[in-house]
Parts: sequence; C-alpha cells; structure tokens
Amino acid sequence: MTVTVDWYLILAAVLFVIGAAGLLVRRNAIVMFMSIELMLNAVNLTFVSVGRELRDLTGQFAVFFVLVVAAAEVVVGLAIIVSIFRTRATASVDELSEMKG
Amino acid sequence: MSDLVNVSYLAVGPEILLTLGAVLVLMIDVFRQPSARVHAWIVAATILAATVVTWFQWDRVTGEGPFLAFSDMVVIDEYGVIASFILLLVGALGLAVAWGMVERLGRRGAEGIVLVFMAIAGFQFMAVSANLVMMFMGLEIASISLYVLAGITRERPEADEAALKYFLLGSFASAVFIYGVALAFAGTGGVSVYDIGAFLRGSVLLKPGVLLIGMALLITGLAFKLSAAPFHVWAPDTYQGSPAGIVGFMAAGAKVGAFAGLGRIVITAFPLYEAEWAVGLAILATISIATGTLLAIAQSDIRRLLAYSGVAHAGFILTGLTAGEAGMPAVWFYLAVYTVQLIGAFAVVAAVAGPTAAGSPMSDYEGLSRRSPFLAAVLALFMLAMSGVPLTAGFVGKFGAFAVAWRADFEWLVIVALVASVAGFFFYLRVIVLMYMREPAVAEAPGTMRARLEPVGALRWVLIISTAITLAFGIYPTPLLDLLSTALPF
Repeated sequence: MTVTVDWYLILAAVLFVIGAAGLLVRRNAIVMFMSIELMLNAVNLTFVSVGRELRDLTGQFAVFFVLVVAAAEVVVGLAIIVSIFRTRATASVDELSEMKG
Repeated sequence: MSDLVNVSYLAVGPEILLTLGAVLVLMIDVFRQPSARVHAWIVAATILAATVVTWFQWDRVTGEGPFLAFSDMVVIDEYGVIASFILLLVGALGLAVAWGMVERLGRRGAEGIVLVFMAIAGFQFMAVSANLVMMFMGLEIASISLYVLAGITRERPEADEAALKYFLLGSFASAVFIYGVALAFAGTGGVSVYDIGAFLRGSVLLKPGVLLIGMALLITGLAFKLSAAPFHVWAPDTYQGSPAGIVGFMAAGAKVGAFAGLGRIVITAFPLYEAEWAVGLAILATISIATGTLLAIAQSDIRRLLAYSGVAHAGFILTGLTAGEAGMPAVWFYLAVYTVQLIGAFAVVAAVAGPTAAGSPMSDYEGLSRRSPFLAAVLALFMLAMSGVPLTAGFVGKFGAFAVAWRADFEWLVIVALVASVAGFFFYLRVIVLMYMREPAVAEAPGTMRARLEPVGALRWVLIISTAITLAFGIYPTPLLDLLSTALPF
C-alpha cells in the first residue's frame, strides 16, 4: 500500500476541522488560540503536499508566509490575552461578557 | 506575464510611503517625543504623498493600461487604484476623527497613527494583489493592526474584550481564507488569480469539488472581515468596546479592503464558476440583510445599531456583487459613499462620547438637537443616507446595487432587499426621533455630559467633508458614476 498525496490532504482536512471545532467548543482563550494554530498548520501541510506532488515550489514558499503570519498573530494574541489576564485574572471567554445584545 | 522580478516602485509606492511614514512617526517618537502638532504634519505629508503616487499610478494605468510587478504579485489596474484612493480617503478621515484619541493617549497615540498607516497599507495590498498568498499577507497586515487598535485603550476592560473577540474570530477567518488558498492551489496548481483563471479556462475539471470548497472558504474568510451574516458576531461587541475615535476607520477600512479582495477573487480567478458563487453571494446577502435589519431594531447602543446596520449594508453591497463584472461600478459607488457615511456617523459618536470612550448608549442622544444642533443635523443626515432616502448618496448607491442585481436575474434578492430597506427606516428614524423629539436628560452638575456639545478641530472638518460628499453625490452622482463605469469592470 502506497501513501499518496490524497492521504496528506485528508489528514490536513481532518486537522483543520479539529482546529475549527476546538475554537468553537473550548472556552479558554489560550486553547482557542492553539486551535487556530492547528488550523494554520493544516494549511501548511496542504501546501507542502500539493507543492511536492506538483513539483512546484509555490507550495513551499506559501508555507513561509503562513509561518510568519502565525508568529505575528502569536505576538498580538498573547499580548491581548495577558492584558486581559491582568485585569480579570481569567482567560475564560465566558467571563468576557461586558457587552451583549 | 514574465518570470522576471519586474521591480516597479510605482506599483507599491503608496504602501512604501505609508510604511516610511509609520517608521518616521515611531523613530521621532522615540528620540524627541514631539507634540501632537508634529505628528499631525507627518500624517498630512504621508497621506498627501501616498495620494500623489496613487495619482501617478492612475495616470499610468489610464494612459498605458494595467501593469504587473514583482513577479506578478501585484497588479496595478483601475480597480486597484480606485480602491487605493478610497482607502486613503478613509484613512485620512479616520485619522482626523481619531485625533482626539491620539492626543489623549500621549505616547501610545503615536502607535495608533502607526497602526492606522499599516492597516491602510495592508488593505491597499489586498486591493492590488494578483496573488492569493499576497492577498493573505495584506489581509493579515491590516487585520493584526486593527486587533491592536481595538484594544489600544487597554486599561478599559471593554477594550480588552473587544480586542480579544476581534482577534479570535479574525484569526479564525484568516485561517479559513488561507485554507481556501491552499485548496485552490490543490485544485488548479496556481495561487495567482490569473493562473487560476487561465487554468480553469484551459481544462475541464472532472471533479471540481476541492476547488469549489476552496472558493467557498475564500468567500467565507472575507465575509468575516466585511461582517456579513452569519459571520458578523464579532462586529457589535468590537465596535462597542473599542475607543470611539477609531471605530469608524476600523469598520470602513475593513469593508473596502475585504470587498476589494472578494471582487478580485471571484471575477478574475473564478469567472467560470459565476453561476455557483453568484448564488452563494446572494444567499449570504439575504442572510446579512435580514439579520442586520432585524437585530438593529432591538439595540440600545448606537454603536451596536451601526454595527448591525453595517451587516445589512454588507448584504446590500453583496447584492450588487451578485451581478459580477457588470455590478462593479455600482458596488464601488456604494462602497465609496457608504464608508464616508460610516466614518461621519462614527465621528458624531466620537464627538458625543469622547474619543477614547467605550460604549455609546442611546440615552446620550436624547435631545441632542438642543445640545448641539450641528451634530444632530449631521447624524440625522447620515441616518437618512444609510436608510436610502433620495437626494442622499445612499439612495443612489442602493438604487445602483439593486438595479444590477435585478438585471442579473436575482429579482427575489432585490425584493428582499427593498423590504428590508423599508423596515430599516424604523431604526434609523428612531435615532432621529430621539435627537429631535425628546428633552435632554436633566444635567446632574454643570459641565457634565449633558452640557452643550460642539465638535472641535479636525473632527469638525470630517463632519463637513463627509456631509458634503453625501449630499453632493446624492444630488449629482453622474461624474462619479461615469468615472466608475468607464474605469470598471477591469
């Protein structure tokens, strides 16, 4: 049995769905943020598998951009979460309900 | 199309100038800590220089035609240049509204200027990118700047909450968008909008499933950014919690940038799937119009009202986009005048609430006509324009968007939109009734919120300019409409 590119694409799709589901069901801001990182890594896996299958470096170069963006998001996201933790001593999004309607 | 790295500084001139302006503001702030006046000069010079370069782009595009640059990453055509112009206008008006906030925040105010510059540059990159990875970069440059702007008054719990909600849902949307790029790459072997379009014209896909899912994810990701329902949940909370001065720019800039990207993707990359995406956009438009109109009625905070009205307006603009290329002039007219109305309305909100405040309850607007006839009259005009009353630019925009959708055989969508427009009068008129037919609440002490209220400085000019644009293009829209219909479609 050979492992074809389809396997990688399906694995990436499963990881992406796990990430999306994690964002929707988990209530801790840090875990929600990790779920987003998982989604971005599923994207990376898709890019490299397709790039290798097509013998096209576009897939690899796209991954670098996604990595850089993920790093920038970590900086801003963790700063926001730390700032919230300072004022409220919690990272649960259920506690963040000042605004409703 | 060439394989060379065809460097053209003209192609990215506005973005380079905005970045240089941002670096200049940061560096001067570190070494000199200048007064707000110096910052104001740098901001004016940067925006003016970027506008001049954009004008050179326009000159070249109308003279010699569109051109590609940087290994076909960037395309400068009428579409992108018009979007760039609108974004610079939005940025200039937005910074003028935010100026009170910049002054009050002191050193952090300079960071606010930098973030606005970066957001404009990012949205401009979205408008001129010919490559989906490039578009993702533009989207992220702008989005990350906006997350920080939402929470720039970080001592206030509301600002934190607004920033986190915007950040989590915005990052989710970005991940969805880039997965759409990856699936489009898997389906066609290209990430350039031209390559994808050419591939689809040249070959018959036996199983277009992956590509169609990719296209749906691209549209979904951008629908989050332009706050179309059902992807709008972040917008009311973020608008309510962010500092009053910056909300207008956040709302207007994101709408222009996301629509610029969406139009470029569906029309250049997927013209062969117009039947599929037009129906998808029509469904999105229906949900947005219905949700935005119904939920706006129940709001007790004017920023939440404007957020839900923005959801409905995203639906109206999507109505125009269902017509595809033929709908482009109507869509861009709508975007140009709606963003100005939005910034004008939020300028009034900033004047009433104070530039860094979070939340603007409706009760603050009771009897506003006594406290400030000017602010009340201007806000009333924007409310009428947003509801689409004739002789305002809002009417011309809605008429154009509905007309192109009708011609594209989306009669049912136009009927839904018309019914919702009429229903929308209710909540827009409620604000006007509050301002003109109620007495101001009794002042607890002299000099508090209930005292007389006059907009000062840059804010006053924003109100005058946005009023002038709203009225001028409402009474005599022909020049802008002619310009857009000759320049677009691309």
